[in-house]
Amino acid sequence: MHEGAIAEALLEQVRSFLPDQAVLREVHIDVGRLEHLEEMVLQTFWAALTKGTGEEGSLLSVNVIALQVRCRGCGMEYEPEDPAIMLCPQCGAARPEILQGSGVVLRRMEVEQPD
Amino acid sequence: MDIPVVENVLKLNDEIAAENRRRLGEAGVVCLNLVGSPGSGKTTLLEKTLDSLRGELRIGIITGDIATTRDAERLARFCDHVTQINTGGGCHLDANQVKQGMNNLPVEDLDLLIIENVGNLICPVGFDLGQDAKIGLFSVPEGEDKPAKHPRVVLESALLLLNKIDLLPHVPFSMDVFESDLRKLRDDVPVLKLSAVTGEGLDAWVDWVRQSSTTVKRDRAAATT
Ligand SMILES: Nc1nc2c(ncn2[C@@H]2O[C@H](COP(=O)(O)OP(=O)(O)O)[C@@H](O)[C@H]2O)c(=O)[nH]1
Ligand SMILES: [Mg+2]
Ligand SMILES: [Zn+2]
Ligand SMILES: [Zn+2]
Repeated sequence: MHEGAIAEALLEQVRSFLPDQAVLREVHIDVGRLEHLEEMVLQTFWAALTKGTGEEGSLLSVNVIALQVRCRGCGMEYEPEDPAIMLCPQCGAARPEILQGSGVVLRRMEVEQPD
Repeated sequence: MDIPVVENVLKLNDEIAAENRRRLGEAGVVCLNLVGSPGSGKTTLLEKTLDSLRGELRIGIITGDIATTRDAERLARFCDHVTQINTGGGCHLDANQVKQGMNNLPVEDLDLLIIENVGNLICPVGFDLGQDAKIGLFSVPEGEDKPAKHPRVVLESALLLLNKIDLLPHVPFSMDVFESDLRKLRDDVPVLKLSAVTGEGLDAWVDWVRQSSTTVKRDRAAATT
């Protein structure tokens, strides 16, 4: 349930990048599969936090990033389908270095500038 | 208009965590972040740990609690340097809270700082606090499926503990499933089984704490030369 903390951090970050006068339309974030973030809960927090502010009505677009790991045993890169099973298809080791699929990243923002 | 950003949403947290890590490193303090479900036995384990290492290592504790001061009171019986962080409902500690907690402790006079995170197997894992190692604590009554359900704790911990093994005869718990699930995630992480109540297996854990204190300092020394 850290969706609230993530949404708060995101909003603060978005505001720091928002040009004066610009109106926020949409925010695009990448969410790693390992984050266990519920998109619906995130959306609810986003709506609640922006309500009554200049960012009210902005959309949050969430792109879930699949897991990609590198085997520390043999160096093979692979994409585990089940996050509970990390066995390397080449050597059978379970010693994954996470390359992708953790973390939350603000990718881009769509804004409207007044004329 | 499109504004490209590409920046970690927890950037601020990560920056403060790096600051905590630097401060602890300079003070020669090793920092462990203990993560486990509510009731898994984190505080009990720390009580026993403090008791075992009394007079040997100078230990400070930061304990995260949603609302009460109970854990801090329990731990203060074993240690002079306990500080409590009330998260006010928050389900994890963040780096800034730990920074505040460190300001309440004589950091420069410690050898070891142990953080008891808020009871939760999901949220705490995503927040770097500046620790040298995360320790994932499971316990027998939670059931054998917890590692498979919480892969990230397994993936990111330097050590895993299974507490309450004294209850094995009394609750259904398949050690085979627990172990084989773990090994599908990590075949290189040490797992210690113990009972914080009976003391079984406690010595191996206390030894690990002693050793981590030495290895972390050695690694730091190697990194700076
Ligand atoms: N049987 C048994 N009970 C334990 C053990 N460790 C802790 N407990 C009990 O589990 C409950 C929760 O422990 P606590 O340390 O407060 O858990 P925390 O919420 O993770 O800090 C308490 O009633 C403890 O006495 C253990 O190894 N065996
Ligand atoms: Mg506790
Ligand atoms: Zn949470
Ligand atoms: Zn491999």
